[in-house]
Amino acid sequence: MPLPSCRVLILALLLSSCAFRSWGADSDVVGYVKIAHGKAFVSTRQIAVDAQPGTPLYQGSTLTTGSDGSLGVTLKDNTVMSFGPDTEVSIDDYLYKPAQDRLKLAARIVKGTLHYISGVIAKLKPEAVSINTPTGIIGVRGTRFAVKVED
Amino acid sequence: MTTYSAHPLRSTLPLVLSLFMAACSQSYVVLLAEDDGRVGQVSVTTPAGTTLLDKASEGIEISGQPGKTFAVDPQRLERDFGAALASAPRKPVSFDLYFNKGGTELTAASAADIPKFFDEIKQRPAPDISVIGHTDTAGSAEDNERLSLNRAKATAELLKKNLPQVINITIDSHGEKNLLVPTPDNSAEPRNRRVEITVR
Repeated sequence: MPLPSCRVLILALLLSSCAFRSWGADSDVVGYVKIAHGKAFVSTRQIAVDAQPGTPLYQGSTLTTGSDGSLGVTLKDNTVMSFGPDTEVSIDDYLYKPAQDRLKLAARIVKGTLHYISGVIAKLKPEAVSINTPTGIIGVRGTRFAVKVED
Repeated sequence: MTTYSAHPLRSTLPLVLSLFMAACSQSYVVLLAEDDGRVGQVSVTTPAGTTLLDKASEGIEISGQPGKTFAVDPQRLERDFGAALASAPRKPVSFDLYFNKGGTELTAASAADIPKFFDEIKQRPAPDISVIGHTDTAGSAEDNERLSLNRAKATAELLKKNLPQVINITIDSHGEKNLLVPTPDNSAEPRNRRVEITVR
């Protein structure tokens, strides 16, 4: 019975890590929605909420917009991102501890449009920022750009 | 693999593909100038290679040929990115409040600036704020650690009391370690007695 017990162990580990990481605490917030139009959602750990100004974002959050939707968000390091309709973007990795030089921003756009204005992370450590698309990786040297990803 | 169907396929597939691409069904990255006109750089890396964009409105098809950049005209920018650009939040802004020597009382000049700063905060949806307290190098490092934290806390209280729409305030303090104006130790320097406020 090695397989089931292994699964139980993994499940137990996952559950305990959830408990210890205390998701949803203020200190885990990586940014907030500032602007939301039409159908727009933020999903964090499989729970989707209607996006509205003040909706918190966490590492692992996915932002989606419908055909009439758009979203604008600001992250703790002053990165500004906004999204057009039919867009799906996730914040895969985010670390902003400048005093300890621990900086990381990895986001992924699956489809749609993304407009990006870099913040402190890109300024202090450009190589710590990557915006991933299905076919390529965008590296940022402190700037503003837009990307469109077709389904 | 059958060879008889390969010829017609070979000749029509690229044509169909290129028509498909031309019908703006294309994944691409475009570099934009910042508000102040500055233009930075982005790199686009695929298994085929890396392309560096360094001119405003310069674009590259993501899965296209590396280095094959093109100019993106304003009409296309508006068509593809109009909604995303229109939803961009205001850029975060920072300002400094200065304090009288040794305590948490604002200088007269900074107290006079308060209404202007509050107006800026009020114009933003769901504003979240970070405050970082600082001191000059007069006195011990430990005392200054405490003083810089007290300055940050006093500033956060002032914001909370007057601006209920603020959704979050993070408080940090750097003591005498992060001088605006470099000085030797034990130097009174009014410009270092400050709290940096960043509004997002």
